[in-house]
Amino acid sequence: MRREPEHGVVGRPHPRIEAPDKVTGRARYSADVRLPGQLQARILRSPHPHARVVGVDTGAAAALPGVRAVISSADAPAIRWYEKSLLFDTTLRFAGDEVAAVAAETEEIAEDALRLIRVEYQPLPFNVSLEDGARGEADVYRRGDAARGLREAEVVVEQVYTTQTALHNALEPHGCVAAWEGERLVLYESTQGVFSVRDGVAEALGLAKDAVRVVTPHMGGGFGAKQIAWKHSVIAALLARRAGRPVQILLERDAENLAAGNRNATRQRVRLGARRDGTLTAVEARILMQVGAYSAGGESSAVAGIYSTLYRCANVHTEQVQVFTNTGPAIAFRAPGYAEGAFGLESAMDELARALRMDPIELRLRNYAERHQEKDKPYTSPESLRRCYERVKEASAAFERQHRGKRRRGIGFAAGDWIAGSGSPPGYAWVRLEDEQHATVITGAQDIGTGTRTALCQVAADELGLPLENVSIQIGDSGAGPYGPTSHGSTTLATLGPAVRAAAEAARENRHGEGARGPNPQGKAVRTCGAQCAQVEVDLETGEITVLRLAAAHDCGLVVNPLLVDSQVLGAVTQGVGFALFEERRVDRASGLVLNANLEEYKVPTAADAPEVRNVTLSMPDLEANVLGSKGIGEPPIIPAAPAIANAVFDAVGVRIRDLPLLREKLLEALGR
Amino acid sequence: MRPFSYSSARTLDEAIGLLGAGARPLAGGTDLLPLMKADLGHFDRLVDIKRLAALPRRIEENGEGVVLGALATLSELAASPTLQERYRALAQAADAAATPQLRNMATLGGNLLQRPRCWYFRHSRIPCWLKGGENCPARDGENREHALFGDAPCVAVHPSDPAAALLAFDADVRLVGRAGERTLALSDFLRLPSDRRRVETSLAEEELVSAVRLAPHPPETKSIYLKAMDRKVWAFALVSVAAVLRLAERRIAHARIVLGGVAPIPWRAHAAEAALVGEAAGAEVFERAAQAALEGARPLAGNGYKLPLARALVRRALGELADAA
Repeated sequence: MRREPEHGVVGRPHPRIEAPDKVTGRARYSADVRLPGQLQARILRSPHPHARVVGVDTGAAAALPGVRAVISSADAPAIRWYEKSLLFDTTLRFAGDEVAAVAAETEEIAEDALRLIRVEYQPLPFNVSLEDGARGEADVYRRGDAARGLREAEVVVEQVYTTQTALHNALEPHGCVAAWEGERLVLYESTQGVFSVRDGVAEALGLAKDAVRVVTPHMGGGFGAKQIAWKHSVIAALLARRAGRPVQILLERDAENLAAGNRNATRQRVRLGARRDGTLTAVEARILMQVGAYSAGGESSAVAGIYSTLYRCANVHTEQVQVFTNTGPAIAFRAPGYAEGAFGLESAMDELARALRMDPIELRLRNYAERHQEKDKPYTSPESLRRCYERVKEASAAFERQHRGKRRRGIGFAAGDWIAGSGSPPGYAWVRLEDEQHATVITGAQDIGTGTRTALCQVAADELGLPLENVSIQIGDSGAGPYGPTSHGSTTLATLGPAVRAAAEAARENRHGEGARGPNPQGKAVRTCGAQCAQVEVDLETGEITVLRLAAAHDCGLVVNPLLVDSQVLGAVTQGVGFALFEERRVDRASGLVLNANLEEYKVPTAADAPEVRNVTLSMPDLEANVLGSKGIGEPPIIPAAPAIANAVFDAVGVRIRDLPLLREKLLEALGR
Repeated sequence: MRPFSYSSARTLDEAIGLLGAGARPLAGGTDLLPLMKADLGHFDRLVDIKRLAALPRRIEENGEGVVLGALATLSELAASPTLQERYRALAQAADAAATPQLRNMATLGGNLLQRPRCWYFRHSRIPCWLKGGENCPARDGENREHALFGDAPCVAVHPSDPAAALLAFDADVRLVGRAGERTLALSDFLRLPSDRRRVETSLAEEELVSAVRLAPHPPETKSIYLKAMDRKVWAFALVSVAAVLRLAERRIAHARIVLGGVAPIPWRAHAAEAALVGEAAGAEVFERAAQAALEGARPLAGNGYKLPLARALVRRALGELADAA
């Protein structure tokens, strides 16, 4: 049944193929799993930011009717965790650290049992702020001579920018059901990396990797925080083994916000040097980042990254220092490091443009980078960021300013690039032809919620010349499909799309095809990038900020499905609005406790806070990056959002807030001066 | 949540008989149940009053004004044509509270009885004065959301939007208990917590709120509720203002200014009202009222921004009312 590819399915705005399952409730999440005999587990967490466990008595909890298993530092196996600690350690390093766990017939019994556990704590001194924490070694990058560049500069911008600790708050919390089948473990886990959880849990339990199977049919958001094996999965497995029954564990919202990751707070001392014509002579950034009590692993947060790549500059010096505090461990959060770094760099660029009386886009074009200067390689898409600048400029041409009256309007611009998004091997897919008209795509990797299912089916349908509805997909089961990557770095489509295409091509010959992601280009660097322009209104008297409109243009290579790209841009911009305006974890310095580990006082944006977003992203196939030409879009649109908004606020009212989020107290205080 | 017993009362007498120490009436449950889940409220018995025919839930007008049933939901208050027309600030305040889902469940009585949202009070691991502890940790802690007024041992602010509007309409509250009925002015019902009584109302343990009465107002009375939040919707007020104004021949004949989010109870700005009454409506007098409204404020380290914010809301509220008159 050899057919020429129709190339009519890729590029079409097809609604998600799983949408009917999701809106009818048919889609099953970890919370929906009900296995015969399944127990419910709860975790007892440290009430102290730093303490030693002197004694744990779980006797009364274990004796409570309905309790089937209890575990604590008193009897847990010594499983290494967070490099320098244990699964159940006797030193607790943040409020929310795991102390003990119970599995019982019901959630209520498990909670009652937690209250019966007697723990003797010896509180220890603690620190919870970026200023006071223990500093690690500086991670230094140098190119040229930044000190000389600053001496030669005709204009220097020197400022300190700070960003807050932000919490992921995915709609669905972390959680799983752990079920033993003999010596093999099955985890129904809410994760963005089935293979990463498999490997982490297998290592913790001393099992072979293929003795652990991780299943994630659907998940309700991860944003980076669900890319590693966390303690709860191993705890559930240990409890399930002790009880001889499957165990379900779902994190409560406070646990989610205390112990399941956060975006690191930062302090960035920035110096930019430039000539009168705008040419950058030096970029310098000295960065502190609050990683919390432990390095949790996963994708690293590269706050310094954007400083060395976004603009052409011969003299760059960045230093990034991790600061350890008695707070929950940080983990990747949508464009980790880059969202924070962009606030510093792009605010400083705006200040430089003002100092030079230059148009902000003009300044950026003056310093346009066509090469990856760290790797010293040309980009595969050297012109794409220029196209993004042009698109955003056009789309925001009608954004008006208002510099009179009580409600001022301003416009702000920012750009961003992103380290990943290119995808990379390894990544595998199979395509099976069921008959002449129907095909199935199979990969082990999961759909984090971005529409991976739909996009991969579109790629296969296109290659096979079939209508999309004739292609189905099996996804999110480490035991049932070939290896696929963790959905982080905005890499899933760029890694698996080419593999699916290769598998589909092979299947046309043999009814079954196996495809592998090929290597990335050797002599060139792949980037994703983008630019945004925000229009805000600021009420001079009340300090209220309203983001009215935001134009966004990004380079994600070939757009496989414009609806899915719209979703990512809308979601990332909305999350960027929260980061810019009000999201902030609050820690009480006296007690070391988090005051707003909930969705009431930790404010995520609502629909009413979201601006009208004009996504003017062009499909720009990057065929040097990979054979499909697609790159990632999940994370990049959050990168320029906060600085674009902050720059627009300055444009509206003439005062600059260099400390996120832009709360009323900061604005009213600055306006009052 | 700790175990508790549940009874659905069939008569008012039965409900009141079941109340007392360790018991709480259950209506919408939108604050009571979260308090219990957070292990902050320890109650042995919940007495469901939702189906009590003896408790009015309608919004009814009679010769004495408008009677709001304690079981009326915030959604019903927000949608009431009577309130929208003549007690607009109350309809606006009800509409500005919480989410649609919560407004559909939350009752007027429960709204007046809800506990503060102070993040120290709501943290199950932090002892605080209001929960029976020694000190108020907010006073020297994270207090951007806290009180400017009240001089109480607690600096939490009152969370209710409708309460501020009701106070601006000189509402009174009908209570029913073992000794029968009594009526209190809302200004007496809402009380600053004290060492003797660490709660924001004068309700007795075996009493229920049965209704709230709004005094009649001449039709030319105008009112407005403005609320400043960290985000556009679904948040408690940083600062709010309920303003009621009546003009007679361009002079201000009657004025009520109540600030929300600035004290442990809705805070009536008597000085601002005094600055208005008898004066001709206009920007200058409104500015004087705005300044007077914040006289005596004692800001904490993190909440000084509430002064200019509250002044701006007072000015704006008065300006809009004068324009509408």
